[in-house]
Amino acid sequence: MSIGNEVGGEPPLEKAVEDLEHALSDEQLADALGTKAKREVADALHEIEEAERVTVHVIHVDEVEKASFQESIHKMLDQVWAKSYDELHIAREADDIFQTDSKPPKSLMSYLGLTLKQAKEQRVIEDYRFGIVSKTGGA
Amino acid sequence: MAQAGTLPTLDLQAGAAAFDRDIPRVLALVGATSLVALGWSRPNRLTLLVPMRAVDARGTVEEFLLRLGFEAYPAWPPSAQFVNPSTKTFMSPQDRCFIPKLTSQECHTHAAYGETGIQLICCSATREFYEVLHSVEARYVWSDRNTFYSTIVAIERAMAESYQGRFTADGR
Repeated sequence: MSIGNEVGGEPPLEKAVEDLEHALSDEQLADALGTKAKREVADALHEIEEAERVTVHVIHVDEVEKASFQESIHKMLDQVWAKSYDELHIAREADDIFQTDSKPPKSLMSYLGLTLKQAKEQRVIEDYRFGIVSKTGGA
Repeated sequence: MAQAGTLPTLDLQAGAAAFDRDIPRVLALVGATSLVALGWSRPNRLTLLVPMRAVDARGTVEEFLLRLGFEAYPAWPPSAQFVNPSTKTFMSPQDRCFIPKLTSQECHTHAAYGETGIQLICCSATREFYEVLHSVEARYVWSDRNTFYSTIVAIERAMAESYQGRFTADGR
């Protein structure tokens, strides 16, 4: 069984997940389908989960450190930012800024409530490369 | 160590050595194999030239050239000046048109700052900011963990978010 991302007229992945989960939890149906079919459903669910995960790359500009990790496209930017510190093994500072790692960089501080998927769809981000920097003084 | 209200002290040997040390660190961070691959150039041991872009209100892409100087690095941030791309230097007032107007709270440019009249990229990640004894909160002072890439990124972000066109020869 092969299930990919939303393409053309296929139903949304969320609906497919819901249907498959429902099928998996239905004992009568699982019995009828047998172990093989049940495994296929589980594999399909796993395939969907994998399809909804992306590799996030993050750099800490001031500490000159970088890390990469897998993340669900349904995680909010704020959650991705928080996880980045764990992956980098660097403590968060009060004045840190989360931004794209692009040329030029773009602050994401006004978009932290968006999921990775939403941010991509709304063209807030072009890819999953991010940067953390400390604020500077000026003006 | 950098300190607000204190003039930076130059140490050319230390600056060149720290610049040598930090180049490979920064290249590894950004995944580049060389300065050239990033479009940057190092005309001498204490200077880095970094092309920068900004987009004006009409959508026109404007090109600028940032010159970083490492004479007091790493205790102090690099000197940062926008220069004439032809001469790689800055002469006032004729080269003021090569300075972008940046109006971010974190990074604000002046074509002729105060009585000194110098070009100032008013940002705690530039050496000139300390040379004019600009006030700054302690948390924003340059620290020994910073590299010149912190300076570049701070200015790049201001170029993206607060560009207001070029200065004119009269500094406006």
